Order: sequence, then C-alpha cells, then structure tokens
Amino acid sequence: MSFPEVHQLLHGIPITCHAFNKDRTQVAVSPNNHEVHIYRKAGTSWTLSQILEEHDKLVTSIDWAPETNKIVSCAQDRNAYVWTLDAASGQWKPQLVLLRINRAATFVRWSPREDKFAVATGSRLIAIAHFDVDNDWYITKHIRKPIRSTVLSIEWHPENILIAAGCADMKARVFSAYVKGIDAKAANPVWGEKLPFGTVCGEFGTTNGGWVHDVAFSPSGNVLAWVGHDGNVSFSYGPQGPVFTALSTGLPLVSLSFVAEDAVVAAGHDCIPFLFKMTGQQWEIVDRIDKGNAKSASTENSAMDMFKKMASRAQTTADVELNSRHQNTITSVRPYLTQGDRVTMFSTSGVDGKLIIWRL
Amino acid sequence: MADFDDDYEDFVDTSIPARSEYELNAGIQDRSNQVRGFVSSGRFAEAVAKALEDPPAGRDAQGAKDKNLQVVMEALAAPRGTDIPVIVKQLAPYQLDTLMKFVYRGMAYPEAFNPSVLLTWHEKVTEVTGLGSIVRVLTDRQTV
Repeated sequence: MSFPEVHQLLHGIPITCHAFNKDRTQVAVSPNNHEVHIYRKAGTSWTLSQILEEHDKLVTSIDWAPETNKIVSCAQDRNAYVWTLDAASGQWKPQLVLLRINRAATFVRWSPREDKFAVATGSRLIAIAHFDVDNDWYITKHIRKPIRSTVLSIEWHPENILIAAGCADMKARVFSAYVKGIDAKAANPVWGEKLPFGTVCGEFGTTNGGWVHDVAFSPSGNVLAWVGHDGNVSFSYGPQGPVFTALSTGLPLVSLSFVAEDAVVAAGHDCIPFLFKMTGQQWEIVDRIDKGNAKSASTENSAMDMFKKMASRAQTTADVELNSRHQNTITSVRPYLTQGDRVTMFSTSGVDGKLIIWRL
Repeated sequence: MADFDDDYEDFVDTSIPARSEYELNAGIQDRSNQVRGFVSSGRFAEAVAKALEDPPAGRDAQGAKDKNLQVVMEALAAPRGTDIPVIVKQLAPYQLDTLMKFVYRGMAYPEAFNPSVLLTWHEKVTEVTGLGSIVRVLTDRQTV
C-alpha cells in the first residue's frame, strides 16, 4: 500500500475523533453523533464492525488503551464510559464513570500505564479517574485551580504522574495527577520535586492570545508544546526553561503530536499536516507533509462524476477540490507507529470523514 | 460549583500594566518627530520600523492609541507603492504582525486614511507571512 493511506470512512459526516487499538487492526471513531463506531481492517480497507451506543449526546473523544484493551469514551452528555470486551460474546460492555460535572466532557486520555484516565470538561475542571477494586467502580478526583474556562485537551507525561491541559482561558498548564495508592512517590527533574495531586507545575500563555487547542509532551516528557487559536505553536522546556514560538503561516492548527524529541506534527484548519523542527536555535516549520495531489488524478472526468457534480453543485466543471488529501479541517493527529523514540507513522482524521495514515 | 463568568476582563493579561495617555504622550511625540525626519529624508523603511516601535496596545489609554495610529499611518502613506514590498522584506516577523494590526485599525477609518494604500500593505505583508498574520490580528487581545 502506498502512503499516505487514505480511508474515506464516512461520507458527508465529520470524524470527531479516532483511536486505534494496539495492533492497528481496529479503529474507534466518533461519527459526530452519540455513537462510537468500531471499524475492523479487512485487507486494505476498513469495514464497520460494531456500534457502541450508550451515550446520548455527541461523543467528543475516545481513547483505546493498548495493553488492557479498554476503550474510554466521553461525550457532551457529561458522562464517560469505559468499554471492556467480553471475550465470550465479543461484545463491548460499558461501565459508567461518575464524573460529577455539570458541563460537557470534551477530551479523554488513558495514562501511559493505563491505570488512570483524565477527562477534560466544560465545568472548568479536569477529572482524574482510577478504578477502585473494592467497590468495582471508577473513582474521580477533580483538578480545579486555577482553570478559568473549558479544558479542551489533555496529554499525559510519559511517567504517568503529570498531565498537560490546553484550556479556553488561553493557557496551557501542567498539573500533577498523582493518585495515592496507585502511583509511587514521584519527582520530576524538569517539572518539580514535590508533586501532590493538583500541583500546578507550569502555566504558559499563547503569544498572540487565542485559546489553546491542543497540548503535547515530547517523548522524554521534558518539552511541552501547545497550539493556540492564534495559529502559533509554542514550546516550553520546563517551568523555568526557555519558551520558543514558531509562527504559523496559515490558519490555526488544532491538533499536534510529537514525532521525535525535536520534531512535531501539527494540523488544523489548513487541512494539511505540517512538520515543525528544532533547527539550531529555533523551532520552525520545515515541511508540509501533504505535498498535494498531482492534479491529473482528478481530471479523469467520468460521466458519473459529471452527473454527481451537476446534482450536488449544479456545475459540471468547477474545481472546488483543495489540493490536499484532507478536504476539510483535520481534527485529530495521533501517533500510529512508534520505533524507539521516533514516530514513523501517524494518523489524522478530519471533518471530511477521512482517516489518513501518513509515513514520515 | 463555581459560577460561570464570561467576563472579558477574566482573560485580559493583567500582568501587562495599563499605561495612561499622560505616560505615553512623550514617547509618541518623540516617535512622531523621528518618523517625520525619516520620511522627509526619504528613509521610508526606517520610518516604518520606527513607527511600529512600542505601540500603545491592549489596556493602554485609547487616546494614546489614536495618536499613535496617526504616526503609523503617516509612515505607511509616505512611500510609493513600488517601495512597499522592499520595506516589508526588511521587517522582522513580529514587526509584520504589528504592522498588520495597524493596517486593520487604519481600514476602520476609510475617510481618514487612504484604504487603497492600506490594501497594498495588506497584500504585500500577506505575501510574506501567509494567512498567519491575519489570524494573529484576529485573536490578539493586545489591540493597537
């Protein structure tokens, strides 16, 4: 299969978010409604295998724990569910997580050791959930201060204690999500020596204002990157470390992921993933990963094509295609294949209903 | 549960002190003289760079912002259209972002400032910065 692999999972429906399983044979997506769709790989294409229905409002985020094989989903109905595969029936069984929030849940991620997960919410707090064996349910603790608006994104530090959160109050913050009984006492040389639950280890603004869409830790966890609606990507080397800002040349980026200690892939409203790199003394855009289609591919106008265009746009020849694989905003960038400390392949999903797997 | 306040003030960066018109006037006057000096001796690039220095922004006094706008507009109106791309190439990225803010501010008063000149600046700046500088003007609360 040649790269990038383009999979049109949905037609005319956005993919709100996506999450692959460990061996990348299945993918869970939110088709911009209350359902979670699980697609299974069949040869080179994906076929819908299961629909998980338990939420009653838009599913905003999904994460699939690779080792424990559990799916966590959260939605605007203020709930999160942990889905466990029942081996006998092959069905996913939901377990409700009491988040104790009065606004939508916006983002969810399993911790690296998969013993906790963090839910970002519109209640101006982050809920950290862990499983309580005695009561057979998930217990949540809240990080509230000093969050002043909806939290939009979460990323776990690789050591399982710290989380980064991107917030609509224009700040990216690093918190401790230390849970007694689960985590061993921890200190981090970069982010702090004492890390009780809720400690604010760092707070960073956006250079030109604009709320923070997404945050990411580098593979070592020593560098934090965030993207704001001002279109800039900023990088911090710890609470006292230097901050770098790479100016974007286009529309705001909404999702990013480190692919190496000195490289980041970010994508958003431009429908193209960009590669940012630390070059010498500065972070900057070094490449657009989508070089565009050769236009010749789209010029084979079949009669069917012509009628389709006439039906949908009342035109036969208008060229409304963007010169990129994604035809609408990219909503999510996630690592797909990691070799050592480097991500060699990553996946993106977007408002155009496409799931694309890219090779770096 | 905490109250939900959508106060604008909540999100204004209060770590940057608001400066009064009185504090800023001397600087603006000084800058204005220097800009005029550069313009009259035909050093337009220096005039623009000088005019963009330390603009009253964000919570600074509106009166000072208005006066400063006049200074910047004088500098922008001075060069011929063909000189504009040359000047734009000499400016640093952060200066281009500030310049873009003034272009938008200036276009809000078409009766006072020539919009066609501002559109030329807009075009030439976008050629260098892409849509990025426009996006940054739209989101930035440090308005000029």
